[in-house]
Amino acid sequence: MVFGGAYTRRVTAIEFAGVSRRFPVPRGGAYVAVESVSLSIAPGEFVAIVGPTGGGKSTLLNLAAGLIRPTTGTVLSFGQPVLGINRRAAYLFQQDVLLPWKTALDNVELGPLLRRRPKAEAEGLARQWLARVGLRGFENRYPHQLSGGMRKRVALAQSLIVGPEVLLMDEPFSALDVQTRALMENDLLRIWQDDRKTVLFVTHDLEEAIALADRVLVLSAGPGARIIGSHLVGLRRPRDVTEVRLEPAFQDLYRAVWSQLRGEVLRAYQSAGAGANGRAGGGAVS
Amino acid sequence: MIRPRLLPYQIGILVAVLTVWQLAAQQHWLDPFFFSQPAAIGRRIVEWFASGFIYRHLWTTALETVLAFLAGAALGVAFGFWFARSPALSAVFDPYLKIGNALPRVVLAPIFTLWFGLGVLSKVAFGVTLVFFIVFFNTYQGIREVDANLLNNARMLGATERDLVRHVLLPSALVWILSSLHTSVGLALVGAVVGEYLGAGRGLGYVIAQSEGTFDTTGVFAGMTVLAVFTLAIDFIVTGIERRLLSWKPDATGRA
Repeated sequence: MVFGGAYTRRVTAIEFAGVSRRFPVPRGGAYVAVESVSLSIAPGEFVAIVGPTGGGKSTLLNLAAGLIRPTTGTVLSFGQPVLGINRRAAYLFQQDVLLPWKTALDNVELGPLLRRRPKAEAEGLARQWLARVGLRGFENRYPHQLSGGMRKRVALAQSLIVGPEVLLMDEPFSALDVQTRALMENDLLRIWQDDRKTVLFVTHDLEEAIALADRVLVLSAGPGARIIGSHLVGLRRPRDVTEVRLEPAFQDLYRAVWSQLRGEVLRAYQSAGAGANGRAGGGAVS
Repeated sequence: MIRPRLLPYQIGILVAVLTVWQLAAQQHWLDPFFFSQPAAIGRRIVEWFASGFIYRHLWTTALETVLAFLAGAALGVAFGFWFARSPALSAVFDPYLKIGNALPRVVLAPIFTLWFGLGVLSKVAFGVTLVFFIVFFNTYQGIREVDANLLNNARMLGATERDLVRHVLLPSALVWILSSLHTSVGLALVGAVVGEYLGAGRGLGYVIAQSEGTFDTTGVFAGMTVLAVFTLAIDFIVTGIERRLLSWKPDATGRA
């Protein structure tokens, strides 16, 4: 089954065709993270993938990024197979990945410099991007001198400055407090609204998924996670993530997706409990 | 900080010890031949500096220390990096590294004197064997402990393998290398002085050994004192370098 919605006729930004990925387990054998996943994401589409914790969500992003290869199946980006690092994608990690020995400015200009842009151009661009994420005046701070939310903003600027066509986001705001998180989500939508990049956003938070995305994909519990549902989000844009939650359409959709997700969350919870003495570190994480 | 309030006590202890020592020597509770006395030691040090006798020895020891540190650190970083990046290599060489590190390096000093003569080179070689392992293990650890997410993020931003080395791996290992800086500079000095002590024509270790050979306890203590101040000065410089290079760290107090 391919969950392509109405977009499948055009060239896709990201396309998975029958993708499975197994990881070898230290004690021998293999752990199947994702199993025959097929999906396609149109250019400019904001797609969220929700699923229980410890599922294959990050694996899907890593496959799209080209950081790992599928065991079977193919991953395409704009019609071309992803065989190495996906140069058209940027990745916003769940963890703090700013280089602690570089200032905010140095961190943001890293991408252009690595792509061999002149230093002056890179710096000018980095200053613009820091201003765009609301961090003018913080250029010379080191990451440890910034709050968690500010570090995420720097990371966002760092990812977007390279002009990616696809933005891969792995629960980027999960470590933030509720208020900061809502602000960051709104900022993300505001920046996204400007040029409508393709976004693949992974989260375990259904509310966040619906508030942000055009389409929500539901991933089953692992091992062997697969996509079990696709829901179009018809809420109008521009949205405010805190206000959109109050709309009846939001709540109807929430109920519909949750009825699908709930069984998987339960299954993940139970298998994590039962498997606690099995695979090391395979239980519920994040 | 508490430092300013501690200083009077720290100076007080020094003054008390020196006073008791001086008194005991004058009253012949301690035999000045074996224990010397602070006043005589002080006079000897002043004499050394006034006559200029000590400078070439200090210079020799400093030169040996710096060369041993630089060569040992360069080799340690290079090999640590190389081994960390190729697990097969490190697995093969693992037992030899353990043997090399476990061996009391002092036994090598006479051999180095035979190989490299009585001059600077044999002391540098000896110091290198001391410094190398500290820097090697810290570099190795530093490279191995680099957060995989930092590497993946840099890769996504467009980093080649060489870029990763420059922007992620080396800076990350530098934290570990710098944390061992005090130890490794100290060991470079130990290498120089022990080497001189065992056989040399100049250097602080040589001065101490010569004084000892003529039962000149005042000379031994004077040499020790100069050496101690020299060590403190080097440590002070190292702390300064460390603060500069680790200014991005949350606890940039310099001590690790």
